[in-house]
Amino acid sequence: MKRNPVFHIAMAMYSLIYFVPLLWMAMSSLKSNEEIAMDPLSLPTTWDFSVFAEAFTAGGLDKYAINSAIVTGTCTSAVLLFGSMAAFAFTRLNFRFSKQLMALITLGLILPLQSYFIAQNALFDSLGIKDTRMALILPYTAMGLPLAIWLFRAYIQNLPKEIFEAARVDGASDLQVYKTILVPMLKPGIATVAVFTMLGAWNEFLLALVYIQNDDLKTIPTGLLSFSTRYSTNYHLLFAALTIVTIPMIILYVIFNRRVIEGLTEGAIK
Amino acid sequence: MKPTSRWIPYFLVAPALLIFSIAILGPILATFGLSLTDWDGFSTPSFVGFENFTHAFADKIYMNSYWHAGVYIAVTLVLEVAVGLLLAGLVSSKRNTTFYRVAFFTPVMLPLVVISVLWSFILNPDLGILNRLLGQLGLESWQHIWLGDQSTALISLSVISGWIFAGFYMAIFYAGFQRIPSSIIESARLDGASEWQLLRGIKIPMVKNLTEVAVLICFTGGIQVFDLVYVLTNGGPYETTQVPTTYLVRVVFRDQQMGYGSALAVILTLVVVAVGLVYNKVRTKGDAVVEY
Repeated sequence: MKRNPVFHIAMAMYSLIYFVPLLWMAMSSLKSNEEIAMDPLSLPTTWDFSVFAEAFTAGGLDKYAINSAIVTGTCTSAVLLFGSMAAFAFTRLNFRFSKQLMALITLGLILPLQSYFIAQNALFDSLGIKDTRMALILPYTAMGLPLAIWLFRAYIQNLPKEIFEAARVDGASDLQVYKTILVPMLKPGIATVAVFTMLGAWNEFLLALVYIQNDDLKTIPTGLLSFSTRYSTNYHLLFAALTIVTIPMIILYVIFNRRVIEGLTEGAIK
Repeated sequence: MKPTSRWIPYFLVAPALLIFSIAILGPILATFGLSLTDWDGFSTPSFVGFENFTHAFADKIYMNSYWHAGVYIAVTLVLEVAVGLLLAGLVSSKRNTTFYRVAFFTPVMLPLVVISVLWSFILNPDLGILNRLLGQLGLESWQHIWLGDQSTALISLSVISGWIFAGFYMAIFYAGFQRIPSSIIESARLDGASEWQLLRGIKIPMVKNLTEVAVLICFTGGIQVFDLVYVLTNGGPYETTQVPTTYLVRVVFRDQQMGYGSALAVILTLVVVAVGLVYNKVRTKGDAVVEY
């Protein structure tokens, strides 16, 4: 393979399709409304970063971010714990109805959100949990579990059976095996499952739109949408909000890109 | 293995099954039940048999929404799966391509709502950069009110979707290409095969099963597209971008027709499940492909 400048120039040009919109967004947040409208492609004339603080505090982005973090954190922990427990039982223990129960969970891999959200909405209404964080944590956990169990199962099947049997001979109970042997060995799988559960919960929009009306409980996607209606003509503030939401994701992604890509493609490949 | 105690397996699967049953399984069954009723969400549902379904098949907006989803899927199959395959071929043909792979994948990371709001600005007729760039390139005749014009709105949405997800499919195919034994690639190179011949003759055939998965994901994702459409056009102008999900949300939450909405949801579910079953029937099983 020889170095090929034409290849890199062509690829760099193509990358512009991705960079120009994002750079334009970041630049515009530092410009006035007039500058954005008159001269959209110019660099900002002043570098005043106070607009970001304004979007954060006055615009309420801070509370949306906290809500997203709480919801995402809770449901990811639940998916990892309950998903690995169930996958362990389905893969390594024999019990009645094991096959049927696994088939039931597998259904969750293909069924679209639309197949249940109307009745789910009515259910949450009658339970009185709409407009609480529970209304998002519960469905996001349920939505994350099927793929988590499926992937954990694939990982556990690749672990040598003998380890589990040896622990059994040493007198460990199944719960001890789960805690002291399975969980430590499952670490790469846990990271992968964590990545896609987090991204799914962080980005989910439809249920958040339907279940949360209280602005103090909105997550980033719905919060940003109400932000954009509230400040529909305050362009630079809006661009600042978009930039604030985007940049941490890009930084995290650049740091963890190997893990993230693995997490998101594993589901397709397995 | 036989469990050390009889109740342990049930204890282990119980939390997952319980949450899944309450939040998903129960509501699915209830949605199927509701689809046979007339219900406004408050009063007692009244049983109407299959009336909602006959109504749905005569509902022009609903039927057209599948046509729109079909156009969207056809365009995204090219702009996401085919372009993704091509990009994967490009970034796997040279060393030091991490930068491009990271760049192309970035939009997949961001909330769709954020990207949608960003694109609403890019395509904004007054301050958007797309029209501005076209103007500066001397292509004034190409300028459009992209999302407000019936002839361009649906295509614009599909192109934005392509911008977002091409990198996702690239990542899938790239991961697949990496698993092809390097001896095969190297010996083909020694025999003088060009990168293009490598891609067409070896790489693409060897990830055939991944291509099938990618088409399935693109199809089932496309028929469920919501965020992008809801934020950018919400079905307009004149219902030309109405897709099954946006119409469903409108029927349920604006028109308060829970029974009819449930019937629409059931139809959508059956379509998705049917596609999944067809996929299972036709997908390649065998040994001509890389095993995972």
